[in-house]
Amino acid sequence: MKTSTAIRAERVSKALGGFPVLDEVSLDVGASEIHALVGLNGAGKTTLMRILLGMLKPDLGSAHLAGASVAGAEAQVWSRVGQMLETPFAYPELTALENVYCSARLHGMSKAVARCASERALSDLGLDQYAARRTGTLSLGNRQRVGLAAALVHGPDVIVLDEPTNALDPRGVIVLRRLLQEACRDRGAAILVSSHHLDEVARMADRISVLHRGRIIGTLRPGTVDLERRFFDLVLQSDMREQEHR
Amino acid sequence: MRTSGQAREFEALKFRRAPVVWTVSVLIVAALPVLAAAFMLAATSDGSSQIGLKAAAMLTSSGWAGYLAMVGMLLSVGALMGIGFVVCWCFGREFTDKTQACLFALPVSRRRLAYAKFTVIILWALLLCLASVAVALLAGAVIGLGVPSPEDLVLAVKAWCGGAMAALLACPLAVVASVARGYLPGVGALVLLVVTTQVVTAFGSGAWFPYAAPGLWMGMGGAAAAEAVGPLQLFLCVPVSVIGIGITGQWWKNMQISSG
Repeated sequence: MKTSTAIRAERVSKALGGFPVLDEVSLDVGASEIHALVGLNGAGKTTLMRILLGMLKPDLGSAHLAGASVAGAEAQVWSRVGQMLETPFAYPELTALENVYCSARLHGMSKAVARCASERALSDLGLDQYAARRTGTLSLGNRQRVGLAAALVHGPDVIVLDEPTNALDPRGVIVLRRLLQEACRDRGAAILVSSHHLDEVARMADRISVLHRGRIIGTLRPGTVDLERRFFDLVLQSDMREQEHR
Repeated sequence: MRTSGQAREFEALKFRRAPVVWTVSVLIVAALPVLAAAFMLAATSDGSSQIGLKAAAMLTSSGWAGYLAMVGMLLSVGALMGIGFVVCWCFGREFTDKTQACLFALPVSRRRLAYAKFTVIILWALLLCLASVAVALLAGAVIGLGVPSPEDLVLAVKAWCGGAMAALLACPLAVVASVARGYLPGVGALVLLVVTTQVVTAFGSGAWFPYAAPGLWMGMGGAAAAEAVGPLQLFLCVPVSVIGIGITGQWWKNMQISSG
């Protein structure tokens, strides 16, 4: 399944405000692969994703997207990237369609193509009836859908999503899972997705890495039973090892 | 990949849809000329009332010349306040609304997005001042000043220049709104700037203080102070604006997100 590495973090370390947040984290996502990153709150998932998307510089190590260093990535590289971290691309004063259209244009699509792609992306996420509504008037879940449509509208083959299902209803979760699996299968997209919901990532991911206190402490096999218990076993073992070292 | 057009299109759309922009536009285009016309009426119709006396003190001469000088004074201060507020909102809202992460991982650089914001704001501000002066001319005719002469139209252009200079001088507020990551700190800096301008002018150094020079040139400090303001002092608004725009662009280029 894995043909080449499209997303790669190499021994990335980062401290924020004097506290180590990431400690020599290495991670890779190949083409046509969904790699899930799971961990408790404050594990460092968002910080790692910020570094991978050029929002934050690592203290040590390096990040690469589509074979290029994030620090010096050209416009062509970024045009292949779709992302949603924390706040979705959903400016309240714009309509749902305008938000998605703007994202498409900013990713280099022509006006005509962006218009068609935006309508399709909204339709894919079940937002047809909200296309002309101001995003500020939409529910949290629908704003999240607008953000996902904006992240996927240009057909990216490198996708980074931080807790994308947070505000989604069960139907939205299924729609997103289908869209990501299609992106993987149809255009060989490499997808890194973080989540708190183990059962959800188990259905979606090809690989699951567990991030805890800024370190990758192990992996979980999707499709296996009792994922939650094995996750907490890993966390507990890691905490016990750390206490022994002190 | 050429990306300036996309950046301008994106910023212009957000700008057009923003209620704060429409509010400021109405205040500067409609409320400001109406206020000038009301002062003019108060100054000329009833010179014995409190408001009449105060309005009369603002007039540097009679007729169109005095009226348009008052429009220029109000515009130089009002435009700095209004456009300054919009500059602060335009840059600071990305942090206040937490949309700054949406501006990363794009083929369009953040510096280009910042310059697109400035392009949209400056074009809007110049048109806004033009519309304000046009409405002021109309209001002047309505209150009975008659038809303006070519000399009066020159004064109208001078009033527009006062507004345009204020628009340029509002640009450096983007530095504060960006570095402090929110529009309220920028608005705080705007208030501080207005207070500083008053103090500097009171100490007699206003002509060399770029934020005071346009107002003095319009006659806020009297005819003698207006004549003391030279082209070089007025031109200082250009480098101040360029430096502010440059620092903002560089800051946006190097911006990082370390917290939600």
